[in-house]
Amino acid sequence: MEEFLGTQTIIVLLVVVATLVAIVGRRIRLPYTVSLVLVGLFISIQRPLDVEITPELIMVIFVPPLIFEAAFHLDFRMLRDNLAPIMVLAVPGVILTTLLVGGIVALGAGLPLGATFVFGALIAASDPVAVIALFRALGVPHRLAVAVEGESLFNDGTAIVVFQIALVAALSGVFDPLTGVFDFLRVAVGGAVIGLALGWLVAELITRIDDSLIVTTLTTLLAYGAYLAAEQLHVSGVLAVVMAGLLSGNVGLAGASPTTKIMLFNLWDYLAFLANSLVFLLIGLSVDLPDLWANLGPIVVAVVAVLVSRAVVVYGISWLANLGKGRPHIPFEWRHVLFWGGLRGAISLALALSLPQALAQRETLQSMTFGVVLFSLLAQGTTIQFLLKRLGLIDRPQHRVAREMRLGQLFAARAGLRQLERLHREGLLTDEIWTGLRDSYSRDQKLLVQEMNQLFLEYAELEREMLLQARREALQAERVAMSDALRRGLLSDHVYEELTADVDRRLEAVSMILAAVQDGQSAQEGD
Amino acid sequence: MRPIVCATRGGEVSRRTQQRAVALAKERGVELVFLCVVDPSFAGPVDKALTATLADELERLGRALLSIAQARAREQGVATRTVVLSGPVWQNVEEYVRQVDADALVIGAPRAGSTPRAFGSGDVHRLAETIQETAGVEVVVVT
Repeated sequence: MEEFLGTQTIIVLLVVVATLVAIVGRRIRLPYTVSLVLVGLFISIQRPLDVEITPELIMVIFVPPLIFEAAFHLDFRMLRDNLAPIMVLAVPGVILTTLLVGGIVALGAGLPLGATFVFGALIAASDPVAVIALFRALGVPHRLAVAVEGESLFNDGTAIVVFQIALVAALSGVFDPLTGVFDFLRVAVGGAVIGLALGWLVAELITRIDDSLIVTTLTTLLAYGAYLAAEQLHVSGVLAVVMAGLLSGNVGLAGASPTTKIMLFNLWDYLAFLANSLVFLLIGLSVDLPDLWANLGPIVVAVVAVLVSRAVVVYGISWLANLGKGRPHIPFEWRHVLFWGGLRGAISLALALSLPQALAQRETLQSMTFGVVLFSLLAQGTTIQFLLKRLGLIDRPQHRVAREMRLGQLFAARAGLRQLERLHREGLLTDEIWTGLRDSYSRDQKLLVQEMNQLFLEYAELEREMLLQARREALQAERVAMSDALRRGLLSDHVYEELTADVDRRLEAVSMILAAVQDGQSAQEGD
Repeated sequence: MRPIVCATRGGEVSRRTQQRAVALAKERGVELVFLCVVDPSFAGPVDKALTATLADELERLGRALLSIAQARAREQGVATRTVVLSGPVWQNVEEYVRQVDADALVIGAPRAGSTPRAFGSGDVHRLAETIQETAGVEVVVVT
């Protein structure tokens, strides 16, 4: 009982720290996951906690919800449009990374080739959580975010399969290429098939059962169930989760009611936030700095090997994806982002921690993995924003910034005026002061409205966007009012559900129109 | 009196398009009709209920945009009507100008290559020519 309470206390403490980091992180320009690692590192230096990070903990508890959430949110149409570059990076890219990293580390650090290929495979899995969060905050092109996220989803699965094959070869000292290819296909295809089958089943159930609580439970079962079922059958659990998430998120959601959709998105956002917070905090807490220092030489070689191989894969073979007809699949400036944004994280660590004792240089490989993960998070994760800025990928048109500025100033002026009005009403301001300040605020507001109108005259599309945003605000207010009416007993559950379903559907429709308008793929042709 | 039809959707040159239409209606002393055609098919295959809501919200947006345009035209002393239609854009525009026997059609063409659009400005010019030929209506394209 005491042990259970001790574990529970540690979990609660970790969540408290993660929440505090999230609150502070909103004010600083550092990716959330990087902040968590830094805080974990700081805590482990100040007062080491008795926390053991095991591969099972990461792979069975944290990885399924993280991968499921990413796949669940991925738009299948966007994924299909970017499938060529994603698959080039995720399949030949992972195999090439394994070989290059293995070769360079064997030469540079003097480690046995079998062990370095194992390292090459486990380090090939990218983990762009920090980068994706930044992409969303900064508004980089959606297609680029899909390419980075899609690559990560599929290369996790591929890297684990290659890792298992390389590990068997390293332990037995024998590698048969034909068996290797067969095993690769069996594990990868087997996992994908199980994920598709379970994902299809749950997608069908989602469309038939319009009960948000049952549907959210079903998706939770699917995330863990697909992983466990595939692992039980010795095929790829990660690929099973990817396929299950994609299918239930796209096919299943298409038939779900808007209320269920909102509940599902909220639940999975929360679960991913929780899993990510704990994983990255645990990474920071588990870092053994003296051990890393002792292995500094091999770590430097590993970092160089990972960067060189990433450059070769991104700049060298991604052109394969451009062979198809149509627009270039990976614009050149995006490749710099793909190169520097190829961060490593939880999957690599879990695989490193799962290395058997019998493997030569096991501890060195684990230190190298921690070193590479730390480097990628702290060096690449903190500088990717600078790169995006240099490449002009987060530059927003001046007129949009100007509109936002005016809107912000207008909000502020109105809030100021309301406060002055309250003070005057309560007798804390004399009539003269109130009149003087009110006139000055009114002049400011009038000027701001004029400037906004001038902007709308030159950029009429801004006015349309503002109309849509205002409609969205109004619908959200309607939803809040209905919840309020339900609490006050003015509405029955049945009527409330029917009304909120309609508002939720309208909110979804407005978001779709707004996204189409902002993407330039207008809902209405002509002008 | 044959009216002038201004097909508008609130895009980047819509204000200039509307101003041109108002000026033309004033000059010729005829009624101005602001027309907005919305097409929910841009969303691809979505469920029936969402398609209906999408169409409804697009029409609501269209009505709001036209109401703004109407208020501005009124300030210039021009009498206007507003019409919102749903369906394929060009087909509806062409049918409407035939139906009201329009004197002229004023439409806007977004900058070429400014943003990816289902109908780029090149297409707007081409379609304008087609309407001019088939419906026998003067078409003014504002860029």
